Amino acid sequence: MQTSLFADAIFWVLAALAVFSGWRVFRTDSMVRASFFLLASFIAVGAIMLLLAAVYLGLAMLFMMAVEMMVMALFMVMFMMNPAGLNPMVMVHQHRLSIVAGGLAFAVLGALALFVEFPDRPLPAGLDPVASLGREMLGDSMLVFESAGIVLLATMIGVVVMSSHRGRFGAADQGSLPPGLEPGGVPAGPQPDAEGSGGHHHHCH
Amino acid sequence: MTLVSLLLVAAALIGIGLYGALSQQSFVMLMMGLELMLNGVMLAAVAFWALSGAGAPEGQLLTIVVMAVMAIEMAMGFALVVAVFRTNQADMTEALGELKH
Amino acid sequence: MMAWAAMVLTFLALAVGGYAVAVADRLIAGACGWPHQGNAWLAPLARGAWLYRQDANVTEAPDRPAWRLAPALYLALAALGLALVPWSPTLVVADLATGVVLWGSLEALATVAIFLHGWSANAPLALIGGYRYVALGLSYILVSMFVLIGVVLPAESLKFSQVVAAQEELWNVVRQPLGLPLFLIVGLGLTFWGPLNLADSTDLAGGTASEVSGPPRLVWEIARVAMLVAFSGIAATAFLGGWLGPWLPGPLWLALKMLAVLLALAWLGRVLPRLAPERCVTLMWVVLLPLSFVDLIWAGLEAL
Repeated sequence: MQTSLFADAIFWVLAALAVFSGWRVFRTDSMVRASFFLLASFIAVGAIMLLLAAVYLGLAMLFMMAVEMMVMALFMVMFMMNPAGLNPMVMVHQHRLSIVAGGLAFAVLGALALFVEFPDRPLPAGLDPVASLGREMLGDSMLVFESAGIVLLATMIGVVVMSSHRGRFGAADQGSLPPGLEPGGVPAGPQPDAEGSGGHHHHCH
Repeated sequence: MTLVSLLLVAAALIGIGLYGALSQQSFVMLMMGLELMLNGVMLAAVAFWALSGAGAPEGQLLTIVVMAVMAIEMAMGFALVVAVFRTNQADMTEALGELKH
Repeated sequence: MMAWAAMVLTFLALAVGGYAVAVADRLIAGACGWPHQGNAWLAPLARGAWLYRQDANVTEAPDRPAWRLAPALYLALAALGLALVPWSPTLVVADLATGVVLWGSLEALATVAIFLHGWSANAPLALIGGYRYVALGLSYILVSMFVLIGVVLPAESLKFSQVVAAQEELWNVVRQPLGLPLFLIVGLGLTFWGPLNLADSTDLAGGTASEVSGPPRLVWEIARVAMLVAFSGIAATAFLGGWLGPWLPGPLWLALKMLAVLLALAWLGRVLPRLAPERCVTLMWVVLLPLSFVDLIWAGLEAL
């Protein structure tokens, strides 16, 4: 594959963007910002794929990841204590070990990239990547493709069962109490019997 | 844009993702680390497909499979977060300490 | 050379089409006797000048880059979308091999842009607007994808020019009768127009735009009509035969068809009833999504 200087320049910009925004994901205050930094990283990688002539995959990255990161941002705002990032925070554990592990993974994989001889076989001239992918998915690798579909269906069912509020014997949290804020303490959240015994009347006085 | 440079970028993404997955306390941030690792994997797969695999269609198929894996990981992860949040009111990995016993 | 001409045409269409939507919306309101302000032909320009000369409002601790860039991002998505539309067999900015997929990704990225616009203001009503939009967007994206796959089947290609060429004998609006109505609803959702205006609705005091004034607000409103124009271009290409037509030159035919789609959208936006957000989502998943399955099966059987 002969690459022009222009394509090379674009590649390096995109590569820098992918790595930089990937790093910012874990260095930003806000969870929503983190998920959009991750989206930026995915978009940069998708654009690199477009440069590599994978015209379907690069765009598939865009729409898959746009939706996924959108959902992620929603969950962030739902569950996190500090979704909007108004207060700086660090929520990490085993920090040093993680840095070493990440650095080690990069070193080993980078060494593999540098020192292993990979065959140099570029794309054949007349290849249509989209048609080739389509024939493979609905031809020789149909079984793989269909299995992925079945697994996705199973995931959907499992996810609905796990996250559904309704269980076989009534609501999932019926009769259960949330744990205390400190071990063995008073359960967190509203207390059922305080609510039941006319708690509202007290407020009226 | 050589194979080596592409693989180095992929390795950097995988390294950062591994750091995130190991270091973050929040479930959702942990999943972001996993996604970043898979991002690197997909980049490496497409790089091999384009520059070293002579355009064998299985290379593209592998990327599609990784995308499906990402979707499954996200869905299962969020279902687990919802289930844990409902019982424990928590979104931190430390809150699951009782799984040890 | 052709690409440059097409680019000029695209920007011209964005400007003229955007103005046409604003005028048509007011004319339709006037014809039905609903309240609207001033002369329909001058009111859009007056509003633009008024917004341009306002000061830009600032909230407490917004995510400033995202807040200011979200309208520009939405406008850029609209321009990219219209760049995919072929004005004639050769007159097109970018006839990608996977143009239909790119349009699908633009719809998904529009959700991100609108959510960012609502979230980054750091204000409650704007955030609620952004949330509502995401709920709506996740519902209509699937409908849009299935309808577009139905269009792609007879063309046997993901290129928009091939999609048009495949409609030589019969336009898709006749061949797949469910397609265009479903896609028009997607268009109302994509631009949160009329009854599907859940994101910027008046019950949220303007929703994602409630805290925005001045030039950023102007860009946001321009981006919204520009997206409507881009959508009409895609709808005319996918269902109404694009540049095809007797006597007149191709680009003129496309412009007329786009204008027809724009008028239909402006009219639908005024006459369709509004639904509460949760009912709207139920309608999308329970009624429109199965209908889009039917459309796809219909298209598949026909292509056999």
